[in-house]
Amino acid sequence: MLTAIEEAIALLFSGDEMLANIVWVTLRMSIASSLISLAIGLPVGTALAMGRSKLAAVLVIANRTLMGVPPVVCGLLCYLMFCGVGPLRWLDLLYTVEGMVVAQVLLITPIVAGNVESYVRGIVGPVRDTARGIGLSRARTALLLLGECRYQVFTVYLIAFGRAIAEVGAVSMVGGAIAYKTNVMTTAIMMYTNRGDFTLGIALGIILLLMFLALNVVVGIVQRNVSS
Amino acid sequence: MRKKLLASVVALLAVFAMAFAIAGCSQSTEPAEESSAAVSESATESTQEKTATDEAVGLTILYEEDDSLINTYSLLAVNPEAPFADADGNAVSDVTLNTVGAQAFIDWMLSDEGLELIANYGMDEFGESLFTVNDDAPRFEGEIPEATDETRAVRLSTTTSVNDSGLLDYLLPKFQEAYGYEVEVYSAGTGKAIANAEMGNADAILVHSKSQEEQFVADGYAYTLPGFDSERLSFMHNYFVLCGPADDPAGVADAATALDAFAQIAEGEYPFVSRGDASGTHTKEISLWPEELGITTEADSVADYTGWYTYSNAGMGACLAMANETDAYILSDKATFLTFEANGGVVE
Repeated sequence: MLTAIEEAIALLFSGDEMLANIVWVTLRMSIASSLISLAIGLPVGTALAMGRSKLAAVLVIANRTLMGVPPVVCGLLCYLMFCGVGPLRWLDLLYTVEGMVVAQVLLITPIVAGNVESYVRGIVGPVRDTARGIGLSRARTALLLLGECRYQVFTVYLIAFGRAIAEVGAVSMVGGAIAYKTNVMTTAIMMYTNRGDFTLGIALGIILLLMFLALNVVVGIVQRNVSS
Repeated sequence: MRKKLLASVVALLAVFAMAFAIAGCSQSTEPAEESSAAVSESATESTQEKTATDEAVGLTILYEEDDSLINTYSLLAVNPEAPFADADGNAVSDVTLNTVGAQAFIDWMLSDEGLELIANYGMDEFGESLFTVNDDAPRFEGEIPEATDETRAVRLSTTTSVNDSGLLDYLLPKFQEAYGYEVEVYSAGTGKAIANAEMGNADAILVHSKSQEEQFVADGYAYTLPGFDSERLSFMHNYFVLCGPADDPAGVADAATALDAFAQIAEGEYPFVSRGDASGTHTKEISLWPEELGITTEADSVADYTGWYTYSNAGMGACLAMANETDAYILSDKATFLTFEANGGVVE
């Protein structure tokens, strides 16, 4: 354990080009996919929560089912779509960071929407009454609802980011773990384990946790300032 | 209040890190106990003392350098005219391949410079070269064009042994520096690496399974590059090695041939870990078992042997770790085993 932590710290400060690239690709992929998922998931989740029709109820169930899609299944579908003989081959997305982001967005958006739906659902009744009383449009009501849930929105973002940075099944299929191009922390840990380099794998795991901790601290501070 | 929160976050992280490290450390001990319990059918009496006194004894090379264990690697350029088909079997005609880049890469690998680098790889770290260039290796003599924007990215689909042994990490920067190409390496077992090329995701392949390579050529996925006389360019080899627990209960170290060694393992039903993933190593392994066992690459064929034969469907490193933990025998390419051992993967 001590050697792993020592090695992690040594690695962090060694300025290793490969590690820097892995961290950079990981951050780029995780931030892009979590932000895009949030941008799509917030309105979808709010709309689901505001809906009162049968259709809305069905859509909520459908969304919750999508929350459980195994990452490898999503990865396999994206692989078959984007690969050299796949129907979407003209997009040139296989083995690219953009392709990984697409797979991640497909995986994470339902999770964002599902969480937002359940938070908004809790306050939708009283807020709707108030909004009707002062004559707000539906769009303004949705904004008001999201504003009321802003504390939870940050938590949802952290869930999305955590999922994006920790995921391995989909990104290894779509990204292919190509060195200096699509190799992220999780796929690199798999690669080092396969080479028998467990210590380096654990070291990378610790770095991954530290990165998430740093983001958590930043988001936590912003969250409290925005919500109080 | 804020301080308290921060402190609790730090404490939480510390707990995480500890859990992580404990999981890491116990990797070498706990699974060994579980798995030796799993194989205890044949050795029930000794299991108790065994787990109490010693854990895995450490994987070591027991049998090597037999002609039947030769492991030949080949380069093949993917044919732009290949009969590509999508997942439903419909023909796909407009698959884009970087044929110029693939040709430059193969030409460079088979140039005097490339072959010399390959022959010397491993000398510094292991005191022996990990790969030997074939005496009759095809050689390229000619000009290699510099990369252009269109031909820069070359997609190489290869087997884990070439990648995990560090050979490509050592070769590719030199090629990239000299000619400007960027080789993107996708590594998986040979079966998967070939399938990946058949789906139009690779410009060249570097694999080690003769039968699967010949099938690839026969199916029209490879073509003969100018200056060479075959689609399949076998250029280097090393040896597979039969590894096992250092105390060698099956006595394979004294076997006359590799086939005898495998027969001894099968006869005594000593634990054996198989890749089970249609990789080059897997196809070699199934050719070494006594024929009457009827072991093939299909999982069904080993259904009767699950007491001692583990069909793991995992990469070489994962299988080596598994064999190390369960005191099992395993067939590995020598390069990966040496790298695995040097990286500390064999935990005693």
